[in-house]
Amino acid sequence: MANEDVQKTLAELSRDLEESKARLEEAQRVAHVGHWEWDLETDVVVWSDETYRIFGLSPQERPMDLAAVRAMVHPEDRESLYRGVDEDLGAGVRPDAEFRIVRPNGEVRTVHSVTPKRWSSMPGDAKRDSSGRPCKLFGTVQDITDRKRAEDALQRTQFYLSEGQRLAHMGSWASNDLGIRWSDDLGIYWSDEVYKIHGLDPQNGVPNLKQYLATIHPDDRASMAETIRVMHEQRCGCDVTKRIVRPDGEVRYVRCVGVPVFEGGIFKAFHGTTMDVTEHELLTQELRQERAYLTEAQSLTHTGSWACNLLTREIFHSSDENARLYGFDPSQGEIPFDRFYNAILAEDEVALRVKLENAIREGADYDAEFRIRRTDGAIRFLRGIGHHNPSQEIGEYVGITMDITERKRAEEEREKLRQLEADLAHINRVNMMGELAAALAHEIRQPIAASITSANACLRWLARDPPDLERARAAAARIEQDGNRAADVINHLRSFYKKGTPPERGIVDLKDIIREMTALLRKEAVRHSIRIHSELHEDLPNVLADRVQLQQVFMNLMLNAIDAMKDTGGKLTISSRLTPEGQLVVSISDTGVGLPAENTERIFDAFHTTKPQGTGMGLAITRSIVEAHGGRLWATANQEAGATFHFTLAAKSEADA
Amino acid sequence: MKSAAAPTVFIIDDDRGMRQAIHDLVESVGLRAESFATGEEFLGRKQIGRPSCLVLDVRLPQMSGLDFQRRLTETGMQIPIIFVTAHGDIPMSVRALKSGAVEFLTKPFRDQDLLDAIQHALERDQAAQKQEAEIRDLQERYRGLTTREQEVMTLVVSGMLNKQIASEIGASEATVKVHRGHVMQKMHAGSVVDLVRMADKLKLSPCK
Repeated sequence: MANEDVQKTLAELSRDLEESKARLEEAQRVAHVGHWEWDLETDVVVWSDETYRIFGLSPQERPMDLAAVRAMVHPEDRESLYRGVDEDLGAGVRPDAEFRIVRPNGEVRTVHSVTPKRWSSMPGDAKRDSSGRPCKLFGTVQDITDRKRAEDALQRTQFYLSEGQRLAHMGSWASNDLGIRWSDDLGIYWSDEVYKIHGLDPQNGVPNLKQYLATIHPDDRASMAETIRVMHEQRCGCDVTKRIVRPDGEVRYVRCVGVPVFEGGIFKAFHGTTMDVTEHELLTQELRQERAYLTEAQSLTHTGSWACNLLTREIFHSSDENARLYGFDPSQGEIPFDRFYNAILAEDEVALRVKLENAIREGADYDAEFRIRRTDGAIRFLRGIGHHNPSQEIGEYVGITMDITERKRAEEEREKLRQLEADLAHINRVNMMGELAAALAHEIRQPIAASITSANACLRWLARDPPDLERARAAAARIEQDGNRAADVINHLRSFYKKGTPPERGIVDLKDIIREMTALLRKEAVRHSIRIHSELHEDLPNVLADRVQLQQVFMNLMLNAIDAMKDTGGKLTISSRLTPEGQLVVSISDTGVGLPAENTERIFDAFHTTKPQGTGMGLAITRSIVEAHGGRLWATANQEAGATFHFTLAAKSEADA
Repeated sequence: MKSAAAPTVFIIDDDRGMRQAIHDLVESVGLRAESFATGEEFLGRKQIGRPSCLVLDVRLPQMSGLDFQRRLTETGMQIPIIFVTAHGDIPMSVRALKSGAVEFLTKPFRDQDLLDAIQHALERDQAAQKQEAEIRDLQERYRGLTTREQEVMTLVVSGMLNKQIASEIGASEATVKVHRGHVMQKMHAGSVVDLVRMADKLKLSPCK
């Protein structure tokens, strides 16, 4: 019976034990805590199921001993772990260690192994040998990998935060409340950076409200106090930038942002940041100043700046001056793209649109001139320059618009002036021709009239009864003479200047004349993309000549050169040299169509012309003038392109003066 | 003063060919011609026969034809001028004609135009010559009058009656009649109308 009872009791106990064991196992599994037993004598280790799991093994997969455990400890932690345990045991301290293990699949876990206090304090728990050293040890092991990682992450975050605050000159603070009684403790938390920003020592603790306000610049103090009062009363946030004065007197700009924190509708605290924005603020002030200068400059130069997308017709930026160029009032807010665009005159809009479309398609910059009707009705010339950055969206341009009305008007004036000069040059030529024609008429008319009169006389002598043949013959002889004389005049057309009124000769500075003619013809040359270039002899001597006639020589030869390059553009070179005989040779060279292949001399014949509107007199007159001055005029073909006309003049030496 | 002298055409032209041609043309119609290259040469000549005329080139080397015309007028030489020019313009011809030129021809001209102009000029000179002779005659007769007679003549041609003249000069009417008779006789006047015409030619003005 007793045995039965005992059996029964044993069975119950055994069942209870099994249940307890199962519950323990379950609890261990849920808590990731396993237990172990280490026989210090045999180094046999007994693990609970969860311990096996923690080490990445199946429960009771194989028997354990110290060497097997040791092998599973992370190599880097192995030595320190066992040295620590030995030291602890030697010192009679409970071993307590955190170390990493390597699971069979290579996964690294962090575990915390400890010998519970309860166990170690109970006699017999750690069985001791005769020398008093424990011979058996019991402990728990917990997988703390996840906790460890969370801790590491937090630590890292905190580090980053404080480092970030330090780098950003930004501190954080929190406050349960902001007391309004000046002496009250603010009851706030300041991060280290906030102390640093204020130049205060964290060791002295958080300042109270009065002390805090004392750090604010006197000019900003009242408004800051007011801000704090409002925050307190209305439980509202703040965003203020104010100046503070550090203990060493340095003034800093500080931006303070605070927000109230509510939980379930109940005010809990204020959280906020404090930033040192001094650099930012100074930069902002500088930018503001620069912006003011820029605005002033834009207004002075009538230049507006803008940024927009020409495709979507969005305007990202438009300076005040940009609006004023169109007569819009910049204070009336944003002006839509179309209001700008619709101001463009219809006759200019088409060409501009084509230009813009091309630029947008090619992603290229553009530079366009167009006219607008300003809101006051005035027509203005604008020049728009747009720059497209390839990294921007298609159609996005930044640029400027300038009012070039004045410049345009001046250009028109210059164009008129240029036209006038061209007309004058033309009139000059026509006048020259007219004078020549009048002089020629007299020269030729005289012998013709004489021969007609002689012919009349001759007829009358013959009509006499009897005819006076002697007188008739004499008259006929005169007819022949006068006829020849008329022919001579025509033949020697070029020598007109010798026979005409004697030219007024004086000492002439060729450089002066070349300079005058160059100035007079420069615009005409530029219009045809021709550069005028002088290569004059350093000591170009003066010549004895008729100044007006020499001007005609240069004008004729230079106009001739320009004519030859009208369609191609090119270079007109005036050069001079002195021959050993003391003759001055002036050459006018072009890069134009060049000379006819044959009969080059014919170009100097009167009425010889290749130009539809030419008179053919230019070179003939020029040669007459040069020859009248005792010089020669001839032409040579250039090696590359064009022709060179040379003429000689006798240099005026000092002795002749 | 040989009024029977052959009419002479003077030619001044610096162009030798032109000068010779005109000279020859003038001679071909039987007129006398004398030609000069400059105006100075012409002025250097001692006597200018009558009737005569001058064919003058407008453009002369030293002095223009128009200036030469003025100079002739200033020296009292009255000779009809025919201008010829190779480059005349209208204002120039107007000026010339206003200053008494007979004709203004542009070279080359029709020979008949020049000869007609010469004919016209010579006739004009002849008429002028006749008128000048007549005035010289009248002046001679007038100078033959006594001072009193000249005085009476002036008063008669001014239309005064004998009685008025007598009171004017402080003489009797009978005395005036005698003076008046002498005047008519000495002046070869057939009537008072004749005498008035003579006084007009003599450019007598009714004086006080």
